[in-house]
Amino acid sequence: MNIKILDSWLRDYLKTEASPQKIGELLSLSSVSIERIENYGNDYIYDIEVTTNRPDLMSITGIAREAAAILPRFGIKAEFLPPKIPKVFPGENLSIKIINDPKLVNRVLAVSMDVKINPSPKIVRERLETSGIRSLNNVIDVTNYVMRIVGHPAHVFDLDRLNSKELIIREAKKEEQIETLDNKIYSLKGGEIVAENDKGEVVDLLGIMGLANSVVTDETQRILFFIDNNDPYRIRKTSMDMGIRTEAATINEKGIDPEIALEALTLGISLFEKYAQAKNVSQIVDIYPNKPVQRKITVSFDQIRRIIGVDVDDKQWTAALGMMGFITKIEKGVFEISVPSFRLSDIRNEEDVIEEIARIYGYHKLPSILPPLSQTITARSAIDRFYWESKIKQAMKYWGFTECYTYSFVSEEMFDGPIDKALKIANPLTNDYIYMRNSLVPSLLQVISDNKQTEEMALFEISNIYLKRAGGLPRENLSFAGVLKKEKADFFKLKGLIEQVLADIGVETLTFKPSTKGGSGASVFIKSEYLGEIELLDTDLVDFELDLDLILEHASNKKVFKPFAKYPPMVEDLTLNVNERINTQEIIDHVLRQSNLITAVTLKDTYKNSRTFHIIFQDLEKNLTKSDVTRLRGKIIASLAERFKADIK
Amino acid sequence: MDEELIGIKNTALSLILESEDLESLEETKLQFLGRNGKLTLALKKITEVPVDERKEFGILANEVKQAIEEAIQSQSNKLSKRKLTRVIEKIDVTNPGIKPALGHLHLVTQAIEEITAVFAKIGFERVRYPEIEWDWYAFTALNFPQNHPARDEWETFFIDTPPDPEKGKMVLTPHTSSGQIREMEKSKPPIRMLNIAKCYRRQSDISHTPMFHQFEGLVIDQNISITHLKGTLDYFAKSYFGPKRISRIRPYHFQFTEPSFEVDVTCGVCLGKGCKLCKDGWLEMGGAGMVHPNVLIAGGIDPKQYSGFAFGWGVERVLMMKEGMQIDDLRLLYSNDLRFLKQF
Repeated sequence: MNIKILDSWLRDYLKTEASPQKIGELLSLSSVSIERIENYGNDYIYDIEVTTNRPDLMSITGIAREAAAILPRFGIKAEFLPPKIPKVFPGENLSIKIINDPKLVNRVLAVSMDVKINPSPKIVRERLETSGIRSLNNVIDVTNYVMRIVGHPAHVFDLDRLNSKELIIREAKKEEQIETLDNKIYSLKGGEIVAENDKGEVVDLLGIMGLANSVVTDETQRILFFIDNNDPYRIRKTSMDMGIRTEAATINEKGIDPEIALEALTLGISLFEKYAQAKNVSQIVDIYPNKPVQRKITVSFDQIRRIIGVDVDDKQWTAALGMMGFITKIEKGVFEISVPSFRLSDIRNEEDVIEEIARIYGYHKLPSILPPLSQTITARSAIDRFYWESKIKQAMKYWGFTECYTYSFVSEEMFDGPIDKALKIANPLTNDYIYMRNSLVPSLLQVISDNKQTEEMALFEISNIYLKRAGGLPRENLSFAGVLKKEKADFFKLKGLIEQVLADIGVETLTFKPSTKGGSGASVFIKSEYLGEIELLDTDLVDFELDLDLILEHASNKKVFKPFAKYPPMVEDLTLNVNERINTQEIIDHVLRQSNLITAVTLKDTYKNSRTFHIIFQDLEKNLTKSDVTRLRGKIIASLAERFKADIK
Repeated sequence: MDEELIGIKNTALSLILESEDLESLEETKLQFLGRNGKLTLALKKITEVPVDERKEFGILANEVKQAIEEAIQSQSNKLSKRKLTRVIEKIDVTNPGIKPALGHLHLVTQAIEEITAVFAKIGFERVRYPEIEWDWYAFTALNFPQNHPARDEWETFFIDTPPDPEKGKMVLTPHTSSGQIREMEKSKPPIRMLNIAKCYRRQSDISHTPMFHQFEGLVIDQNISITHLKGTLDYFAKSYFGPKRISRIRPYHFQFTEPSFEVDVTCGVCLGKGCKLCKDGWLEMGGAGMVHPNVLIAGGIDPKQYSGFAFGWGVERVLMMKEGMQIDDLRLLYSNDLRFLKQF
């Protein structure tokens, strides 16, 4: 969350000669991030990013207090000037009785007074508008002015419009209707913090926004100034559920210190007197059931040194901690700190205190040292799965394929298979990204169709696919997929590519069988383990997808030296007429089985029904003679004839 | 008869030497050695030679044939060489070369490989953990209280499935920090982890894509301090962005680290002086911090014995910062438009 404040306003509470730029730079280094400093006439506007753990900094006094602690660390004088709260001289008792529910609200403060509604003076309007708050009238503006100075949101009712002897704080009921001050109607879910009058009408949505039936109008004469410190979780839930993100809601939901509420109230009274001619101020009602518990934390100097990495002299940081509202004590080598109420939500343990010490000391003063090598590090091979993935990607690139990164979520149409097997996203951005994919191919085909201007494409991707498992996290499986789009896309080019890519990582025992999935193409195996598919989708489109996790289990850089053969091989080509339904691989396997002198059989050529095989005969022990080969040849021919009814051309 | 052979040899040799190209040499070859060639015909006349002279005739005939063949071979070699020289003289070297196929690796892959290599040199081991995780790993174990507003900063995608009674809802990891707990469960300190993975958040606009990549560093050992985090950040800034770049840390807030930092790197254009591009000389790189003791405890590590630091940054962000790339819509990175992919 961000807060914008005018430099001149900040300087009401911060005495320093530092320039706005210097203040911005030094606070960014040691406190909050000043994201921008804009010129505003002769003045400047700070745009400050406040982290969610520091709601106390959503105020000018909060920023001033930090600056007064930090600037002296850089040798610049600075002093925090707390707001001057004039004494209040209250009159009669408050005419309305407030009944609180301590489960919902930690503290309620209320006071009534007569006011005159007018526009605010220029200085108030300017300070609010530059802070991102619209100026409405002097009364509303005072509540926002107080919120910016002290950091606690505040509210005003028109007391006459409330027209009630009681204001009862309670949980909203289901389907209660309310109209907010911007005249929008909402139906409540139940559980929101609301206030009702003695007629049972809901008159406020606490901590978030005023309601149309009770807010100040141009005719208002008497107001109820009301400060409520609420349960932050309820505020957050209501604000998020209803989509009402007011400044008050974003601050209240972070958990504001109830201790500052009284300061906000009394400051507010003095401002009503100043800007709205407030008179007849009533007694202040303060219902305070949930007081914060004070906290003391002890910190060991060893731990400070251990986390920061160097010895930091306590004289360097105790003064600044004091400026920030901490009470510090060092006794017998133990450091004890009392946390101010406005930091209770943030400073809970030793580490939180050490963070304060470290940033006060100055991160920029710490040396940069690489962590030392440990003596007990585990041995790890450099040949890990990332090595293989990288190798495959490089190979694909050098064979002309371009890598894609497509989204892991897909539409129902792009999910492969029955949709009840899909992992569904409960809160998808759009229905195009609603299921976790179980295949990369549909995404790559989408890329093909998105790139209509390109005629030939060779694409690949290596990403996880997600497979639903009963009762546990899904199986995330690394998948390797590619598509080839070109005129007369050749199945065998993709098959050969896969063989070479896998051979390069030491996987050479692939088998290809006619697809078990029914389409035109092949199922790919390592021995009996199923790797995936090559699919012929069209005359110009071929794709493949393989289980990379499985492939990597077989990947190896193992090197084996085979001695060169001492005796020359004999080669022979055999041309067979054989039924086309017989697979080439079957014939090759069959021939190889005939003798261990047959060392290699490859398909050399095909023509109509005939296939020519190139056969290599080799004996490692001696020279083969022509008659050896003739004998083997005879055996091959006879067995092929018997097994496949093949005849020799 | 012998004279005839010698005559044939001489004529042939002079014709061979005179031939200017491979075609005329081939003609000469046919003229003498072809089926009806002069030498072939002459040799057929061996029947006319008296029987006792045939042996010598045979020897001579062989010599002549061999001489002619050798001459043809040597002239042929000469001519082929000359032909080659001529071709080389004729080519236009400015004509396009014949290129082997070359594809492209995605920018994100290129960045990941470089980041991995930089950290490998100082002993970080790359790991990978689930992208679909239990809430426990993504939030609760990282010290995010239930209902804490900080949780909403991670606009998280949830999987439509019943929650685990102990580990909570199933989410798409909104950050790589979920890997911290997985790493602690898997290995004992010392830990030097580099977890690079896809992350998901519910946002899609010109500077956000619903899927993106982060790299997460985690170091846990005895006596790990802020100075070691600073050392590592500076090492990365210099190794990845260039030796003149430096890094700094500023206070920030994250649930899972204490202290927490925002990390800046000096702008590559002005090196920290401040310029139009960077305003004040620094560019925001991402978050880091000392591992919160509650996170160590959730990971089964004793915070009294060990301390650590962690950082997690966007791969896309450091990539854009490094290249000074002005991509006006980050979604282009994942559009898979080939006009984009082929540029890198």
